[in-house]
Amino acid sequence: MRDVLPALERWAGEGLRIVTATVVATEGSAPREPGAVLAVSELGEVAGSVTGGCVEPAVYEEALAVLRDGRPRLCVYGIADEEAFGVGLSCGGTVRIFVERFDAPLLEPLRAAIDQELPVAVVSTVTEDGSGRPPRLVALHDAQPEIAEALARGESRLVEAGGDLLFVSSFAPRARMYVFGAVDHAGAVATIGRFLGYRVTVCDARARFATNERFPDVDELVVAWPDEFLRGAPVDRRTAIIVLTHDPKFDVPLLVAALQTDAGYIGAMGSLRTTEERAERLRAEGVDEQQLRRIHAPIGLRIGGRSPQEVAVSVAAELIQALRGGAHAGTALVSGATRER
Amino acid sequence: MTRADVLVRAGRLTAEGVPFALATVVAVQRPASARRGDRGLVTGAGELFGWVGGACSEPIVVREALRALADGEARLVRIGPPGRTAGAADRDAVVAASSCASEGVVEVLVEPQLPAPLLAVVGGSPAAETLARLAPEVGWRVVRDLRSEAVAVVVATMGHGDEETLQDALVLGAGYIGLVASSRRAAAVLTALRERGVGEEAVAHVRSPAGLDLGPCTQEEIAVAVLAELVAWRHAQVVAAAPPVEAVDPVCGMTVSVEGAAATAEHDGRTYYFCCAHCRSAFLGDPARYAEAAAT
Repeated sequence: MRDVLPALERWAGEGLRIVTATVVATEGSAPREPGAVLAVSELGEVAGSVTGGCVEPAVYEEALAVLRDGRPRLCVYGIADEEAFGVGLSCGGTVRIFVERFDAPLLEPLRAAIDQELPVAVVSTVTEDGSGRPPRLVALHDAQPEIAEALARGESRLVEAGGDLLFVSSFAPRARMYVFGAVDHAGAVATIGRFLGYRVTVCDARARFATNERFPDVDELVVAWPDEFLRGAPVDRRTAIIVLTHDPKFDVPLLVAALQTDAGYIGAMGSLRTTEERAERLRAEGVDEQQLRRIHAPIGLRIGGRSPQEVAVSVAAELIQALRGGAHAGTALVSGATRER
Repeated sequence: MTRADVLVRAGRLTAEGVPFALATVVAVQRPASARRGDRGLVTGAGELFGWVGGACSEPIVVREALRALADGEARLVRIGPPGRTAGAADRDAVVAASSCASEGVVEVLVEPQLPAPLLAVVGGSPAAETLARLAPEVGWRVVRDLRSEAVAVVVATMGHGDEETLQDALVLGAGYIGLVASSRRAAAVLTALRERGVGEEAVAHVRSPAGLDLGPCTQEEIAVAVLAELVAWRHAQVVAAAPPVEAVDPVCGMTVSVEGAAATAEHDGRTYYFCCAHCRSAFLGDPARYAEAAAT
């Protein structure tokens, strides 16, 4: 929904009524995830999309109908395999799309929460009979547990709460990525981190290296001792901690601090030898084997990259895999790479 | 050709997307004809422009440059008479004995300069748009249509001609061909390719779905998964690349590259390669003896 907000704000500013069509569930594969929105203004203007263009014309008609009668609708689009090349979803998936009026007064508090990086959700009550209450804005601190669970993870999805089927459209603050060590690789990792939607902080103890000229593409540049900075920084399960300092003086206290958080990903750069030596030092600091296994080291999937950009791709791929739980183990890469013959 | 001229030529080749290796003299023990900072450039055809020391250094630099272009790794090359190159191994340097009359030693840094590979991202789907946005950030040149120069092709039309594009890409012979689609849709596309008469081997060449399996993904994450597979593919290409063809100079015993060899001679139906004209003259003075020694 985030992508259509500017259009919604513009229409609301012009006093126009608005209808949103939101993907609330998908089966099989679908071009866009739950939470994707196609918005239509009273004047028939359109913003956003719910698929790759396959069902938009039909959804547009439904939106116009909702503008006329105000009754929300749940629409299901899907097609059988043999029709995979015909009209409809060429991917063979099914999408459920909820079309409803969107109340303009929600926009101002929503924008305020986003700007302050506070977790907030637009919650729709999904019904098939055209009844139901209008969408409302819910903040994390006063959300029902089912809603809070989705919002805390930044997920947009259906939940059942109090006998109602609700769609939670999460506006979680961007997940945080902390990159330690103002080296060349840090710039490349920061760029790809921002691309993935992270709020990226680069931290280094050396003011000479942690400069805006070297890191124009980060949200925050911090000159501080890495472990001291991390101990005071907000960390949650969506947070990625990327240690590129490869100097035991920084790495060891920093990793000890990182292991005390519930960060979703902790990776540390260094050769196999450095990694082994560092593990020894961490053991000496009282870190046990189970904790050590939380550290992805040497950092990145083993895809044979050399340049800082290639290494950044391998780090990003490992990060996604760790947070998403994909099947692709780092060691299996050899077979992937040699499939070419 | 001055040192600056070498850099100007290097800039031109880079702009044209032509691979070459840059060779820079980084250390000298006198007496030697090269000075620190002397510089040369070696093309894929083994031609050397610039100055990295005389006839004794040149064939070694050319040989190492072609090796560097093949494996993509920079190397430090220590060239000197046998006995004076000791200690170089500790410093991760390639040691090459020269048959030079002077006693000097030169160290040359040889760096391959490989052009950014060209990736064709075909299709107007969100996945294609997203990949085309990220790929240049990580060192690929990107075009949005199918071209013969593209080493890699990613097709994500979302049903607007996947089959046709894949078939064309297979004909053009791109090394990496990937299809971004759901597994069900991908299977349907591959079946359609077979029905169009595309052979099984060609169909197997299409990676589908493209990208490493990292779990359920957003468009941005799919772009990273595809790029990770591209990096792995490219790395495997470099490792598997054929090493340059080399031969041993029958007079001085130096390994020289056949491509761009300084001198050659025919004897008894066979071609011999030399590090310099001097060795060739010696060979021609008594070819039978050198040829026999080389054969044993």
